[in-house]
Amino acid sequence: MTEFVAHFDVDAFYASVAVRDDPSLRGKPVAIAGRSRRAVVLTASYEARPFGVRSAMPLYKARMACPELVVVAPDMAKYKAVSREIFAVFAARGQAVEGLSMDEAFVDAGHRDFGAACALAADVRRDVLDATGLTVSAGIASGKMIAKIASDACKPNGLLAIPPGDEARFLAPLPVGRLWGIGPKTQRRLTSFGIQTIGDLVALDESQLREFFGAWGAQIRELACGRDARRVEPERETESISTEETFEYDVRDERELVAVLRAQSLELAEKLERENAGARTVGIKIKRGDFSILGRQTHLIEPTRAARAIFRAAVACLRRAQLDGAPVRLLGTRVASLVEGEPLQIGLFSQR
Amino acid sequence: MKFTCNTKDISAAVGAASKVVNAHTTVPILSNVLLQADDGKIAVRATDLELTFEHAFPADIGEGGSVTIPAKLFSSYLGNLPTGTLELTGTPTRASVKCERSNYDFHALPADEYPPLPAATRGSHFTIAAKKFRDGIDGTIFAASNEEARGAVLMGTLLEIEGDALTMVATDGYRLAKFVTTLDDGITGSEKYIVPSRALAEVSRNLGGGETIAVSALGAQSNQLQITAGNVSITVRLVDGQYPNYQQVIPAKFDRTMTVNTSALIGSLRRAELVAGDRASMVKLAISNQTLVVTANSDISGTAYEELEIEQTGEDLTIAFNARYLVEILNHVKSDKTVVEFLGPLSPAAIRPLEPLESGQQLYVLMPLRQ
Repeated sequence: MTEFVAHFDVDAFYASVAVRDDPSLRGKPVAIAGRSRRAVVLTASYEARPFGVRSAMPLYKARMACPELVVVAPDMAKYKAVSREIFAVFAARGQAVEGLSMDEAFVDAGHRDFGAACALAADVRRDVLDATGLTVSAGIASGKMIAKIASDACKPNGLLAIPPGDEARFLAPLPVGRLWGIGPKTQRRLTSFGIQTIGDLVALDESQLREFFGAWGAQIRELACGRDARRVEPERETESISTEETFEYDVRDERELVAVLRAQSLELAEKLERENAGARTVGIKIKRGDFSILGRQTHLIEPTRAARAIFRAAVACLRRAQLDGAPVRLLGTRVASLVEGEPLQIGLFSQR
Repeated sequence: MKFTCNTKDISAAVGAASKVVNAHTTVPILSNVLLQADDGKIAVRATDLELTFEHAFPADIGEGGSVTIPAKLFSSYLGNLPTGTLELTGTPTRASVKCERSNYDFHALPADEYPPLPAATRGSHFTIAAKKFRDGIDGTIFAASNEEARGAVLMGTLLEIEGDALTMVATDGYRLAKFVTTLDDGITGSEKYIVPSRALAEVSRNLGGGETIAVSALGAQSNQLQITAGNVSITVRLVDGQYPNYQQVIPAKFDRTMTVNTSALIGSLRRAELVAGDRASMVKLAISNQTLVVTANSDISGTAYEELEIEQTGEDLTIAFNARYLVEILNHVKSDKTVVEFLGPLSPAAIRPLEPLESGQQLYVLMPLRQ
């Protein structure tokens, strides 16, 4: 008997919803993307992927790579509705669910034997298909990281379960970058020392590990050996809420940027209202015309969910960024240090 | 310049003026007080460019003119003098003081570099009984914001004059204080001034003891206000901006009231707040059966429960407030009993004395906490 974690991830979520609702798209390369000049691919169907079409790829590049690509506009309201149905299935057996995005979650598969855990994952996959017509890939393992790597490895429409004791063997041939906490930079550095796979990393001795990772070395080895004690955390708290806009053409006029901040502040205030939360931190993100990214943030004296207070803070951040008319490609506003369930002083002039 | 005066007179005038001096000023002459000899009196002036304070006292003028002396140093020196007479001789670079058998030379700065008062282009003018103005100031300015981040407008107090009616309003966006009174000599038409609250605090402290206070708008755009009583005058630059529409946030009607003993409620709230700790100092007020139950709790400190007898009209209600805000308001209700009016748990509450002050009508509005 072992504690198992299941990871579920809907296959090409947005694209699958589009194909489900328009059968004429079945079997065709489909990309979900907006209409603007700078639209990027949000999701590509499995038929589009052999052409090299990937999420986050600029749409014009995707069209060059795959001239027959069918582009469908996103329908967020629909995805949200489908997402609710999917999560209802995840939660139907009373297990703890930790949502990672609209179509992806960890589900606590409980303390049971391996076969029963596999059966649970298979049941969830079947129920999601019955309820929504969408296929889900699932990974089952004794820890979260391996469960997620497993579900990625068996996509689309697969189920991969790693028996207890097989974790290290499963991980060993995978590139080191698959380990949680090893980003592209660290991966490049490790590769330059000949450490390509997770197995290579496990083979390092203590002092080498310390050299690469400092105090964190022991933990990274535990992970690389497949020992991952983190449990499913239901209702993981929202840490921040953000919104951003990529402009059709670069913006230099501060008044225009301020107008965008005003709209974004209103949007964030509404989201905070829905979450019954207040924010202590307000920040902005700026992507300049040369793609360099700049952030500024400020802390408020007391948590707020008032659009006016968020806007004022965001504008102060914008002034601090001292753009001096430099072209801006993207502008975003973010609220963080959220306070939930705490009493919140209602403002006289911000009553609803 | 040269004059002889009573040490008590000059000490009081320089002491009061030096409070206006900004200790962190980067303009050297603003650290000084200006002494001007004129017609049997000496006028002591200090300014931080927003607020100018002038206090005059009688003196024997030997020779006219003016001198500027470092304010803090001079006021400390004067504060340590025995009662008696003092002789001061001023030049552009030096102030020499003789008192009994002591002689001091203070470094001075040329008086002609001292910022002048605004041109005396007079705008509207009114007078008010000192007691009324002081009660109005003391009853409102505490509610203004003291956070620079919220802007100068909310740090100010609104003076709204219509004929011979004066309405004073201060708010920090969460609570609001309003005081309505009458003027001795009103104006024709109406005026609105947003006065930095700290200037009004100086007015209350320095001008409140007299009989009548005169207020005049100064400057070509009426952007300064001069407030004078007896031998003291305060001139202040008004806040430029739009005051929020305060009338809109004061409900016209309420459907529930409680009348409660003011000091008993203050006591309960102060004790309960100790337990509420940093949960926004949240206290809950439950009104039912002619009884008010005040509760508070926090994981760290424990729980609080206080019962008070009240006169209740209308339906029962449970509402949460920041205890600190409520106590601060109640501290300004100078009446044995306080009337609190409600509309609901998320709507503004109004607080007023059961027996109004003779000098004017007080009204406070406080927003509750959302739990």
